[in-house]
Amino acid sequence: MVELLAPGGNMAMVRAVLDAGADAVYVGPRGWSRRAAAFEMDDDTLKACIAYVHARGKKIRAAFNTLPAGREIPLFSEELGRLVEWGIDGVILTDIGCIAAARRAFPDLPIHASVGCNIVNGADYAFYRELGVTQIVADCKLPFEELKAIKEAGVGVEVLIHATTCFTYIGQCWMSSFTRQVREIDARGKDHFRGSPNRGGVCYRLCLLPWQLGLVGRVVADGVVLRNDAFFLVDEIPDYIRLGVDTLKIQGREYSPGLIGAIVAFYRELVDAYLADPAGWRPQVWHERLRSLRQRRDAERGARTAELQGEGLGQRCTA
Amino acid sequence: MAVELHTQVATLEEIEPSCLEPYDAVYLGHPYCGRYPGNLLVDHGALREAIQRLRGLGKRAYLSTPAAPATPELPAVREVVAAAVAAGIDAVEAHNLGVIHMLAREFPGLELHAGCFANVYTHLGALELKRYGVTRITPNFELSLDEIDYLKEATGLEVTLWLHGKIPLGITRDCFLLAYGECPAVCREDFWLRHRDWVLKCIGTVVLSGQDLCMAEHLGDLLGRGYRIFCIGTLTEAPAYRREVGRIYREALEGLAAGAKVAAGPFLGRLAAHNPHGFCNGYFFGKSGRDYVGAAVPG
Repeated sequence: MVELLAPGGNMAMVRAVLDAGADAVYVGPRGWSRRAAAFEMDDDTLKACIAYVHARGKKIRAAFNTLPAGREIPLFSEELGRLVEWGIDGVILTDIGCIAAARRAFPDLPIHASVGCNIVNGADYAFYRELGVTQIVADCKLPFEELKAIKEAGVGVEVLIHATTCFTYIGQCWMSSFTRQVREIDARGKDHFRGSPNRGGVCYRLCLLPWQLGLVGRVVADGVVLRNDAFFLVDEIPDYIRLGVDTLKIQGREYSPGLIGAIVAFYRELVDAYLADPAGWRPQVWHERLRSLRQRRDAERGARTAELQGEGLGQRCTA
Repeated sequence: MAVELHTQVATLEEIEPSCLEPYDAVYLGHPYCGRYPGNLLVDHGALREAIQRLRGLGKRAYLSTPAAPATPELPAVREVVAAAVAAGIDAVEAHNLGVIHMLAREFPGLELHAGCFANVYTHLGALELKRYGVTRITPNFELSLDEIDYLKEATGLEVTLWLHGKIPLGITRDCFLLAYGECPAVCREDFWLRHRDWVLKCIGTVVLSGQDLCMAEHLGDLLGRGYRIFCIGTLTEAPAYRREVGRIYREALEGLAAGAKVAAGPFLGRLAAHNPHGFCNGYFFGKSGRDYVGAAVPG
């Protein structure tokens, strides 16, 4: 049975997505995932969250999907050890050194390679399988045939069904930290690398600014945007289920719990409707239902993008 | 260990003795676009010729491979590496970890270098690559010098530091410039992206910093920290840039090696003539990448 995986940016969102029918939720330990600290969890909250999710009969994974500093590896090992002790069901990792260390320390722990690993070809699938990864989060730009190839490589496959496709390959971009990066070390010694999404800080989404494209002495175009589209998948989902995709993942820890709960409910119904009657399932009705969700999502995304761009360009700096 | 100053060359026509005179080694091929006219990764005959010419000039030849090849492109990667190995290439650089895995299996003993898009951030990650035959790494640009010191000490691997050039800030699958012109001519144009005071250079499938990374003021410190392998990034730059920037750094490195006190000011002035958008080096000092740390900020 395909798993519906939802974001847990805070406890309210965790409750909302489980109420809406998610099978599993992913959360970010503070400082260790690709989101602002406000959408990550401290240890006390994580411990309570793991207990809560398990009490609901669901699974919870921790996203350590960043590329830390070498000196932070002991902190990573300590944090991972705590989460394993509290019963975390799996982890999402990016750094290959962290993946290898986690595999050595916890041979039975499910390890998912983050979309930030930028896994784009068959040789990558073999590399990550050999490293000990159990499931690969497929890059948004991967064609369907590649999802088959991941399965054939003997690794689980996870597909983003609500997410954004960056202008660049995710994990292969440092435009944000080039513009503004603040090194902030907390009491434990963890650097939060604000401005570097690869390292656990926020992305200032500067690709979405209106750019002027020019040649020397001549403006070619104004208001150019480096495309970074948010998407909902609908038509593809039956193909994914038939292929045996293990996890359908919804991104969005920085959205409101109400919106993410509604998105999860939408996909829960869609998947259940297809599984109940594959022959009779039609995408049109779902596209129609998406309209209001898309409007809400675009409004929240637009406001957050403006906030981040303002911070990135140094207009203000908020915690 | 002797200093190695290296650069990048995408096409055979760029193997120009006077332009390469300051360099000890050259990375061959354009790793970001297979359709770039004359790309040595596509034209194997030209690649062989390029390796022979570098040999004749007494320089080491390295091959750079595609940064993010799709599965159907892997056979071409295999073939160009085989052609380069047959022609006597000294090492092969890979950005993609799958390519490193593939080459380690299929070309045992081949010296491998991990490129700037291999996302080498931690010593544990670098040690994993070492298991696959990687002998040299280019740490991700986001790392500070202190982090790179740690990486170097903990792994024993050769470390490449970029001294100068536009920093690759992101790679894309699709060519952004195709909306503004036809392939292959469009990326030979000098396109810039600007938002207020922030400038980027766009060459299609890779976005570069508009400013030049510049470490001319810090060469002595880098040598003191034990770094010996340095890169001047010149992919798609004009021949004069490759020649003049290389000469300036060669001159500075030779002066330092001779024990001379090298004043950075005159070097900075000469370097500034090659880019109107100024310098940056903030990542090396734990700051934003576009910041510049130094006593003499060129105007």
